[in-house]
Amino acid sequence: MNFDAETSQPTWKLWGEEREEGAVYTIYLKKVRYQNPTKTLLLESDDERSHLEWETIRVKFIKAGTIEKLVNSLASDDGELESTFVNIFLATYRTFASPHHVLSLLIERYEYLVNNKETLSESMIEPHKKTVVSALHVWLDSYPEDFRDPPLHTCLRCLHSFTFTYLPKTELHIKATYRLERFLKECKQLDTTTFISDDYELVIANSPHSPYNFPNIAERHFAEQLTRMDRDVLRSMVAHQCLGAVWSKNKRAGSAPTVLATIDQFNAVSLRVISTVILAINSDRPRVIETWIDIAQELRVLKNFSSLKAIISGLQSNSVFRLKKTWHSVPRDKVELFQELARIFSEENNQWAQRKLLIREGTAKFADTFGHNDRHLQKIIQKQQSTMSKLNIGTIPYLGTFLTDLTMIDAATPDFLPDGLINFDKKRKEFEVLAQIKLLQGAANSYNITEDSVFDQWFHSILVLDDREAFRISCQIEPSDNIPSSCANSLIGTGKKQKYINYEHKKNDSISSNCSSKSLYGLSDDGLHSPNNSLDKQDSLLDLSSSSSSYSLQSFDMSLNGSNNTNILVKNSVNNSTFNTSSDFYIIRITVDADNVETDGVVLYKSIMLSNNERTPQVIRNAMLKFCIDDDPENYTLSQVLPDKEMILPMTANVYYAVNTEYDLNFLLRKKTWKNNTIPKK
Amino acid sequence: MLYDIVSSVSTVQDKLSSRFAYTTQQELTRHRRAITQAPNHPLPTYKLVVVGDGGVGKSAITIQFFQKMFVADYDPTIEDSYIQHTCVDDEFCVLDVLDTAGQEEFSAMREQYMRKGDGFMIVYSVTDPNSFKNVPNFFTQILRVKDRDEYPILLVANKVDLVHLRKISESEGRAMADRLNLPYMETSAKDPPQNIDGAFHEVVRIIRNHPKELSEDRRRRRPKCLIM
Repeated sequence: MNFDAETSQPTWKLWGEEREEGAVYTIYLKKVRYQNPTKTLLLESDDERSHLEWETIRVKFIKAGTIEKLVNSLASDDGELESTFVNIFLATYRTFASPHHVLSLLIERYEYLVNNKETLSESMIEPHKKTVVSALHVWLDSYPEDFRDPPLHTCLRCLHSFTFTYLPKTELHIKATYRLERFLKECKQLDTTTFISDDYELVIANSPHSPYNFPNIAERHFAEQLTRMDRDVLRSMVAHQCLGAVWSKNKRAGSAPTVLATIDQFNAVSLRVISTVILAINSDRPRVIETWIDIAQELRVLKNFSSLKAIISGLQSNSVFRLKKTWHSVPRDKVELFQELARIFSEENNQWAQRKLLIREGTAKFADTFGHNDRHLQKIIQKQQSTMSKLNIGTIPYLGTFLTDLTMIDAATPDFLPDGLINFDKKRKEFEVLAQIKLLQGAANSYNITEDSVFDQWFHSILVLDDREAFRISCQIEPSDNIPSSCANSLIGTGKKQKYINYEHKKNDSISSNCSSKSLYGLSDDGLHSPNNSLDKQDSLLDLSSSSSSYSLQSFDMSLNGSNNTNILVKNSVNNSTFNTSSDFYIIRITVDADNVETDGVVLYKSIMLSNNERTPQVIRNAMLKFCIDDDPENYTLSQVLPDKEMILPMTANVYYAVNTEYDLNFLLRKKTWKNNTIPKK
Repeated sequence: MLYDIVSSVSTVQDKLSSRFAYTTQQELTRHRRAITQAPNHPLPTYKLVVVGDGGVGKSAITIQFFQKMFVADYDPTIEDSYIQHTCVDDEFCVLDVLDTAGQEEFSAMREQYMRKGDGFMIVYSVTDPNSFKNVPNFFTQILRVKDRDEYPILLVANKVDLVHLRKISESEGRAMADRLNLPYMETSAKDPPQNIDGAFHEVVRIIRNHPKELSEDRRRRRPKCLIM
C-alpha cells in the first residue's frame, strides 16, 4: 500500500483497525491541508471549513472480510462508488469467488435496496442503487470475458434478465442485450470458421518458400515483426490469469491459457535463436549470432523487452554460449553490445536494472535509458531520437518478473485471516502488480506495425531443437574442453569421471546405443525430445550428428553398459563414406588395429569428428576415448588407410589438412610396439 | 462482551506491532546491505539458485527463509529481497538467492540463470510424482551448463508436512539422491517450518567443501557488484 507512514507520505497516518461482523478495516488518519482560502471556497455554505488550514479525516479501507462484506464495500457509506476498490476487486476476485457468485450478490443487493423502501431512507437507497449499476458497468466494460462463458452465457443471461426487470431501456440493459446478441452470433460463426481455417492452412502450406534468407535480412523489419507478434499475445493476455493462485498453482489445469500463449511466444523466439545458430553452416554461424544481436538492439530501441530477453536467453543458452570459437569470430563491438543488452536482465539485486528501466520507460515515448558503461547503447539510443520520431512506440515487458513477484506475494501472504475472512490486503498487493501489467498492455497498443504474413511463415518454418538435441549438436561443432580432462583422468587410472560420459551410436542401432537411450530413471535423451522436434527433416545434418561422436552427461548409462565394453559391431554393408566437404570438419572412421577386434569378417570401427584445428595427439585421444581404451595416448599411432598403403600421421600434424580426402577417411589406431622403436615417455 | 473488546484491542496491537516489524525489516535490510558493502570485510557471497518444477513450493521455501515473522508485509520488488547475511558454522557469508518461481515455463531461460549459481537446490514436492521424476532433468542440465561432472547441489523433498498426500517416500527420495550422488533433505515451509534454514545452510556447506577452482574468482568479484 502507498499509505505506509514511512514511505514519505506524512499526510497519512495509520490509526489502527476496526472490526465489525464479517469485516476488518484498516483506519488511516489523513491530514488534509487546505489552500489559502479563495473566494470560491468562501462562497460555499460550509463556513467553518473554509477557515480551516488543515483537517484530519478518518479514512477506512477494508482489510479483510466475507465475500458479502467485500461486495458491499463497492460503495462507500454515503453510497458513492469506491472506484479504487472496484478496480482491485474486479481484478482479483476470481481467486476467492466465481463471476456468477459476485453477480448474484450484486443483484441481491440491488433487490434488497428496492424491496426495503420502508426501512431504508430514500437518500440512501438512490445513490446505493446507482453504485451497483455503475459497478456492473465497469465490470461489463473491463472484463467482458467474465460474461462470455460459452455456450450458455449464464452470467450474461442473468444480468440481462435482471436489467430487463429492474432497469429496462437503461444503458446497462441495452449493453447487456447487445453483448448477448454478439456472443450468440460469435458462437454460430465459430462452427463455420473451423472449415475456413483448414483452407487457410492449406494455402500457407502450398505457398512458395519464404523469401527471407536468414541471416541476410533487414534487422529492423524482423524486430518490428517480432514486436507485432508479442504485442498481439500481450494484448489478448488476461492480466488476472497471472495471479499466483491462478498461474503458479493451476497452470497445468489450463486455467491461464493467455499467459501460456505469451510464454510460448517467448520460448518460440529463444528456440529459433538457438536452432538458427546451431544449424547454420560453420562459416555462417558468427554472422547468425551477429544478426540476432542486431535484431536485439532494434528490439531495445522498440522497447520490446520480451523478445529482447528471449534473444539474450537464446544466445546465453548453453548450446550457443559454449561455442567459444564461434563467439571469437563475432566482431568485438557486437559482443560488447550483446553484453550491454544482457546487463539489462541481470539478476543482481532482484532484477533491479530491469525494474528501474520499466519504471522509467514503461509508458515513455522513447527508449532513453542506458548504463554508464553502455557506450554502444548510448550511441544507438541517441541516434533513434532523430530517425524514429514518426513511429509510435509502446512497451512490451518481460512477463516473467511479474509472474515471480505475484508467485512470491501469493506464497508470502495468506488467503484468509485466522478467523476465516478473505484477506483483501493481499488482493491490494497483487493489484499493484496487475495494474502495472495492465498499464503496459495499454502502452503496447501504441505500436503501429503492419503485419507481414511472409515473416510469420518464415518464423513458423524454422525448426527447433530441444535443449538436449541442441547440446548434442553443439558439442559436435565444438567439443567440450572438459572431455580431454576426463579422458586424462581415466587414463591415469582413476576412471571415476568416465562414468559420466556416454557414447552413442544411433545410426548403427547397436546394443550400446539401445542401452544408452534407455537409462534407469527417465534420464534418457529420448525422454525429453519434444514432439515437434523435426530434426529428421535435415537429412544431411542428421547424418552428421548420428554418425559422429557425441556424448552427454548421463551418469547412469555406464552402469548399464558395463565399464569398458562399449564396442560396436558394424556390418561392412553400412560402410558408405560420410564426410562433408562444405563443413569445417570431417567425420572419420577409426579402427583399432589389434588382434581381438576383427572376428568373422566383421570390422569394428567408430566414427569421430575431426575439426580443422586438431592435431594428431588430440585425434588419438578422441579415438581412445571413443574406444574406451584406458592407456597413454603416446603409446599409439594414427594412420590413414589408403588403397595401396597406410599413411602414418606425424605427431605434430594438423590432421584435418594432412588427410588425403581423395579416398575414404578410414583410419587405423595402432599401439606402438618396441619394433617401432618409440619408447613411451614417462 | 468485555472479552471480545479486549481481544479485539489486542489484535489491533498485534497488527500494529507487525507494522512496526516492517520498519524493523527495512532497517534490517539496510543493515544487511551495509554489511555486504563493508569494504574492509569482504564476506564471501554465494549465489544460490533454487530450481524445480512449478508448484513444488520453491517460493514458500525462499519466503520462509527470508521473511520469517515479517510475512505480513512482504514486498517482492525490493532490490535486496533475496539477499541475506547468514552465519553458517561460525562463519559469516552473504547468501544471494535466485528463485525464479513462476517462471518455470520460460524453459529457454533456465540455462541462463543456472550459469550464475554457485550452488543449487533441486526441489520436488513429495505430493507430486512428476516433480520427482523431473529431478534428474534439472540435475543433468546443471552439470551440462557448468560443464562439470559434479557440482554443489542439494536435493530437497518439500511439503513433508502433507503426510496424507505424500506419494514419494523418504526411501525413494534417498535412493534418488544416492543415484545422483547428492545430499538429501526433507523440508516443510508451513508453520512450524522444518529444515528451511537447515537446507540453505547445507548448500553453503556443500559449496564450501567443494573444490575451490569452481567459482573462486567469481565469488571474489561478486561483492563489488552488490554496490549500487
